[in-house]
Amino acid sequence: MKLILTDTPLQDIDQKREDIRYFDLSACKIAHCVGCFGCWTKTPGKCVIRDDAVHIYPCIAQSDRVLYVSRIKYGGYDTIMKTMLERAIPIQQAFIRIVDGETHHVQRAVVPKQATILAYGEISDEEQALFRQLVDRNARNMNFERYEVRFVPQNLLQDAVREEVRKW
Amino acid sequence: MVNILVLNGSPRAPRSNSKRYAELFCKDCTAQTQYCNLSPSNHVEICEKLSDFSDVLLVFPLYADALPVSLLNFLKVLEQHPPKQKLVVSVLINCGFIEHQQNDIAVRMIELFCKQNGYRFGSVLKIGSGEAILDTPFAGLAARKIKRLATSIVNAKYQTLHITMPLTKGMFIRASTTYWVNYGKKNGVTREQMQTMQIESASR
Repeated sequence: MKLILTDTPLQDIDQKREDIRYFDLSACKIAHCVGCFGCWTKTPGKCVIRDDAVHIYPCIAQSDRVLYVSRIKYGGYDTIMKTMLERAIPIQQAFIRIVDGETHHVQRAVVPKQATILAYGEISDEEQALFRQLVDRNARNMNFERYEVRFVPQNLLQDAVREEVRKW
Repeated sequence: MVNILVLNGSPRAPRSNSKRYAELFCKDCTAQTQYCNLSPSNHVEICEKLSDFSDVLLVFPLYADALPVSLLNFLKVLEQHPPKQKLVVSVLINCGFIEHQQNDIAVRMIELFCKQNGYRFGSVLKIGSGEAILDTPFAGLAARKIKRLATSIVNAKYQTLHITMPLTKGMFIRASTTYWVNYGKKNGVTREQMQTMQIESASR
């Protein structure tokens, strides 16, 4: 499975391709994670908040290619994408393992993935550098085997998405 | 005169570890402090309140390698409702991993926010193993570092500090496994259930 998560509506996504799941997060109802640890210690693998996020994090886990499209704020994902990424912790266990010499959570059935992140907004060089470091850290927690970060002006976003999906 | 608003940016603020860290800070700080929880509905109110303070200490957990959305949203509101004077912004961050360095990206995000908005960046305390350290024999180590953090802010001699449990990674993994197994047990959930590989209806 391949997955597109975006914080802004995208046009011309080929909805007929059965191997691609597309979620416009700006149109989804997703509450923020309340840090209750329920998905680790009460209903393992399931979030206790039953909103749209519960349809999305299983797709994150099952996808071998992901395309995340997000505005950047303070060198990180802006609110819409970050809210979803925080709500994806049911795909991990509470338990800790060592990855690349650091402690990280054990993953449940999460397919190793190639990730492409299209980052847009007014992004300074300093913010770009920080965001690259963030994605590098995310790679260890989100099972990215490989990743690419592209910074794209908002008016060229649709073209950049088409270009990435064409590679699939 | 230094007076510090201690702002808990945890999404579970009223029952968070961040609250416990903030309480230790307030107890040990020789300057005047006031504690506040962030909630989705009080952002503007807190922005206005900040005009009465010289410093703010942001206390929060690491979420997905970065700032929790609860705090990110507040910073965005603060951009629109800045206080009358430019504050000094300090940070007390904790993550559940043993490496305090895993907090570095989030700290740099706050630093970037300060740079973009003209605030002075103050002191930092990065806590590793922060989910559990206060309930272990190492709690005193964390408390001592929090006291040093408070002193550095009061004296305007800003520092970056860190603390974690003095354990090997192997020992930490064993200790954290016991911690989480006991956590699940309180909810009637076994270790094997917690280790399920299923995610929602994983068969689809």
